Amino acid sequence: MVEKFEFDGKLKKNLFIMMGVGLLGLIWAFFANGVHDNHSRFWSNILLNTYYFTGMGIFGIFFASANQLGYSGWITLVKRVYMSLSGFVVIGAVFAAIIVGGVWANYHNLYAHWSLAENMKELPNVKQTFFAKPFWTARVVIYFTLWILVGKAVINAINAKNIGDQKVYKRSKLMAALWIVIFAVSESFVSWDMVMSQDPHWYSTLFGWYNFASYGCGGFAMAILLVIFLKSRGYLQQVNENHIHDMGKYMFAFSIFWTYLWFSQFMLQWYANIPEDTNYWVKRFDVPLFKVTIFLSLTINFLAPLLLFITKGAKRNLKVAAFISVLVIFGHYVDFFNMTMFEPNLIPAGTEACCTKGEGKEGEKKEAAAESTATVLYAQADAGTAKGTVGKTVVTPEKGSTDANTAEGQSSNEAAAQTEGEAKETKAEEGKSETKACCAGMGKGECKEHMAECKEGKEGEEACCGLQTKASLGLPELLTFVGFLGMFLYMFFNEFSKDSTFNENDPYLKESLRHHVEYA
Amino acid sequence: MGAVKQSNNFVLGLWDHEEVFLHAIEHIRHDGLEIYETLTPFPVHGLEEALGYRETRLHTVGFLFGATGTTLALSFMTWVMAFNYPLNFGGKPYWPLPSFIPITFELTVLFSAWGMVLTYCVRNKLIPGYVPRIYEPRTTDDRFALVFDIEGKSGEEIEKIKSLCSGNGAVEVKNRTFKDGE
Repeated sequence: MVEKFEFDGKLKKNLFIMMGVGLLGLIWAFFANGVHDNHSRFWSNILLNTYYFTGMGIFGIFFASANQLGYSGWITLVKRVYMSLSGFVVIGAVFAAIIVGGVWANYHNLYAHWSLAENMKELPNVKQTFFAKPFWTARVVIYFTLWILVGKAVINAINAKNIGDQKVYKRSKLMAALWIVIFAVSESFVSWDMVMSQDPHWYSTLFGWYNFASYGCGGFAMAILLVIFLKSRGYLQQVNENHIHDMGKYMFAFSIFWTYLWFSQFMLQWYANIPEDTNYWVKRFDVPLFKVTIFLSLTINFLAPLLLFITKGAKRNLKVAAFISVLVIFGHYVDFFNMTMFEPNLIPAGTEACCTKGEGKEGEKKEAAAESTATVLYAQADAGTAKGTVGKTVVTPEKGSTDANTAEGQSSNEAAAQTEGEAKETKAEEGKSETKACCAGMGKGECKEHMAECKEGKEGEEACCGLQTKASLGLPELLTFVGFLGMFLYMFFNEFSKDSTFNENDPYLKESLRHHVEYA
Repeated sequence: MGAVKQSNNFVLGLWDHEEVFLHAIEHIRHDGLEIYETLTPFPVHGLEEALGYRETRLHTVGFLFGATGTTLALSFMTWVMAFNYPLNFGGKPYWPLPSFIPITFELTVLFSAWGMVLTYCVRNKLIPGYVPRIYEPRTTDDRFALVFDIEGKSGEEIEKIKSLCSGNGAVEVKNRTFKDGE
């Protein structure tokens, strides 16, 4: 009856190939923007994947713990699959250590908004304390230490061979409760520390929840794929479509939950229209890539499960479940991409790098000029290059609303005109000269000339390019993702093969074996 | 309900274990007997499949009611905000779709929930004032019951029903007769 997963050499080889591909992707990302680049694409790729896969891992233990606490029996057969997702946390800790090291050495700009002393000065006092390097580092170290040590203890408690014993069972429940508390706090904090802090001027109070839902979708999707894989290899044969149905239900429910949080975050900030809030969205809507990723993630993570995965038949069909799982994993990658890739890869307005990117078409010249007029006002405020920040930031909400409206496909000319008018008014108040819209509609040489002008002390007064980004959703990103996936799967199988595929002494095993057995 | 006269004579088979009960249903249906009603103290997994019930259409009703709610909410707000009484709220467009979403969501849920509850009640005759027949009080406690309609059946057929029940592990088999209007 006891079956154990055999982590054979062929599978290991395939996973090592995936890791090799990932290394290739990282090297590519490192040199993607030239040698004199700050390699932001490389670093943000590391952060993105580390965060995503670590999240899935800690969520796996959380889900098993929640079920342990709720006396749920159906999960017993697949409980070890969920718990073994956490194998990656150790690797996550290594990469987190590299990121922390980079912060101390000022080697990357992932957290440039507070890791650089001159940027730190612009933060309020409380945030300066919160993002003091030693405090931040201590927190990150605590999260990973807790996850690795307590996670191990929780897994051992639930996997205990003598769990049929009352005392041991009670202990497993105690450990599960402990994990839920630790997870709930650390998960929120880590999302603030590692992702939201990339732009410490912006905050969202439900960010932790929002990320939790993303971990959940990713973790559930991964677990479904792994169970289907293990079944195809001849393991877990007692797992039938009833279990997959329930796992699918959780994935579906969490997808809807994610959308609820995504929308709550967006709608409140769109509606309240406070500059600090809308900043996050306005910036992203201004860069075509991020405008795409925002709506792409929303489509894949909400509409795809809603339309394709709502029926009972779809959830019980292994092929459909696998397809949706792959979609959801990709969709949440895109969502995290949208969160983590923006700040580090931003090309600040008024740098020469704009010239190579910002050559607009002649026909769009007028429009683009109007847009970048408004754009630059908050771009400068954000980049911290402008002195009179307050006056400039005031314009932001107007721009924000117009932009968000455009995204909804219902911008009226009236509103646009209003924005432009107000933007000009603000400028007049500050006694500025006519703003030149750089790059948009300019030739390369012309743009460089203009940039040189910017550099000669006029920077911050002249309107230079709008926001540009070095990020892209290209092959380096894909290869890096494959590499991290390889590591994730390696650590999963490594953890999973340590013990029998399910705890054969679990008091609820019978319920799982007989889960919805058909009597027809 | 309706023109068909309700039967008053039944045979009840009572079981005390769900698994035995499910297997008994399997055997009894296999022998071609028609089961009039099934009563259990709690929801039994696999019962619908064992009885050969077709899938409920309640979720379709839920979808239709939900879609009604969505349409109603969106069209009403659109009519008010964009056509009938356009006002400028904080520089938002006259058709601010994101701010419609919460209300649309709520109305969808409200309509589908109430629609499903009411449909369910009507279909299962749970309307106020309707007095249901109590076949066996212990089915709310620890007994699983199968009810067979024996109106117009011969003594031989009734004996067959009874012997099949006790042969399949029923702990008790008895007649149940109602008066007219009871």
